[in-house]
Amino acid sequence: MGLPIKAHRIAAVILRHLYDTRRNVNRIAEMVYWPVQNIVMWGFFTLYLSRDNHLVPGLVTCLLSATILWGMFYAFQRDLTTCVLEELWSRNFLNLFASPLDISEYMAGLIAVNFFKAMTGIVVAAGTAWLCYTYNFFPFALTLLPFMFNLVIFALAVGVFTTALIIRYTTRIQTLAWSFAGLLMPFSCVLYPISSLPHALQPIAWSLPTTHSFEGMRRAIVDGHISIERFRAGLLLDVAYLILAIVLFRLMLRSAHSRGLLVKLV
Amino acid sequence: MSAALEVEHLTKSFGGLKVVDDVCFTVEEGDFIGLLGPNGAGKSTTIYMMLGLISPSSGKIRMLDRDLGSHRQEILARINFSAPYVAFPARLTTYENLMVFARLYGVHRPAKKIMALMELFDVHHLRDTLVGRLSSGENARVGLCKALLNDPELLLLDEPTAYLDPHVSAMVTATLAALRDHGTTIIYTSHNMREVETLCNRIIFLSRGRVIADGQPLQVTQTVLRDNRSDPALGEVFMRLAGGSTN
Repeated sequence: MGLPIKAHRIAAVILRHLYDTRRNVNRIAEMVYWPVQNIVMWGFFTLYLSRDNHLVPGLVTCLLSATILWGMFYAFQRDLTTCVLEELWSRNFLNLFASPLDISEYMAGLIAVNFFKAMTGIVVAAGTAWLCYTYNFFPFALTLLPFMFNLVIFALAVGVFTTALIIRYTTRIQTLAWSFAGLLMPFSCVLYPISSLPHALQPIAWSLPTTHSFEGMRRAIVDGHISIERFRAGLLLDVAYLILAIVLFRLMLRSAHSRGLLVKLV
Repeated sequence: MSAALEVEHLTKSFGGLKVVDDVCFTVEEGDFIGLLGPNGAGKSTTIYMMLGLISPSSGKIRMLDRDLGSHRQEILARINFSAPYVAFPARLTTYENLMVFARLYGVHRPAKKIMALMELFDVHHLRDTLVGRLSSGENARVGLCKALLNDPELLLLDEPTAYLDPHVSAMVTATLAALRDHGTTIIYTSHNMREVETLCNRIIFLSRGRVIADGQPLQVTQTVLRDNRSDPALGEVFMRLAGGSTN
């Protein structure tokens, strides 16, 4: 029998990353620079569309909201993995896992830290959109909350999945932390409706919770109607992917223990 | 005295290669054990298996009257580990790093404990220095502070004095001797045979994953060198035992 999950160990993981964030320029850039850069770029694009009357109703709102939500999804899954990578780069991994810290406590701490960071990113991106383009995201935020929730759960599943692969295949594949979400993006219908995709690709798109969230987001913005169907389908897929990711993580961790990879990661 | 550690028929293979081969030994409470052997003998792998970081191919480890396989967290809360090749996050200060580990181990009054340990290992002046700016010797001493945060009943040290200059090494050796006198069970690896003779009441010599000598330093010296000298000579013992197996 292991010890039950202890709050003080989860708090220690959070404390470690709070200390680090104060001095880590990369972390601050990730939280502030990229959300601002994305919003500024897509903001100019929507201005261009408005000026030439190419605009369909709600397009500005859809594009800027999608940029904000994708930024949150991307940051959450990337940061979950980079937090683990930072322990490897700093050769702290052995210290942590030679302590009573359980992997579930470690992941709980990382989820808390990265949820806070993702929310900071949303506030920064939404603030930039309001300052630069007088687009106020916050009135929509409540309507979009169910779809944001689904995005966070899927980001967690993707983060757990990429972390599992890094634990098994080591830092050789660390680029997955930054690139894996890019693989999902074209099929997630972030900036365009699923009807824009070729018919052959649409089943792939529907198999991703992100597609259901962004389709639901567009409908909520254009019609003011929360699609329970899109939320439910996204949530069911989220649960399935999260279970698969956790099973994979446990398998990879067991394999890493058996092959002695945890000590070679330092 | 009861056993602090029981290792039963411990074996670890990677692919077809046996790195630890049917290792058996028992460590009593308060023992100071030198786990010796040439590079690649299986010392570090044995320590990693004691920490549950590598799963054995076969065999059992019991620590502090608990089975490691089923009570890993409980055991790890009562023991600690240090090695010079592990480090701490570079952007945290020495104090911040130790505070994180104090919280992980659930240390009571952590600030006081940290300051006492930093003074013990003469790193108190580095309290607010980023760990990334420490020398390897300073980093090793911070690692030793971390290793004593939870007043461990069993301490696993992999070459704790490897990167230290003679002065600091002597200080660390004196601290380890004080811990031994205080009753802490310690298992450590070292290539400094003089240090091992000073500290250890028993040595276990590994070669190619197998225990080839086990006993008090003097007793092993007399057995291996086949003479009746009155002082241990582990340097000579090492050369004799490792002669055919060093890589």
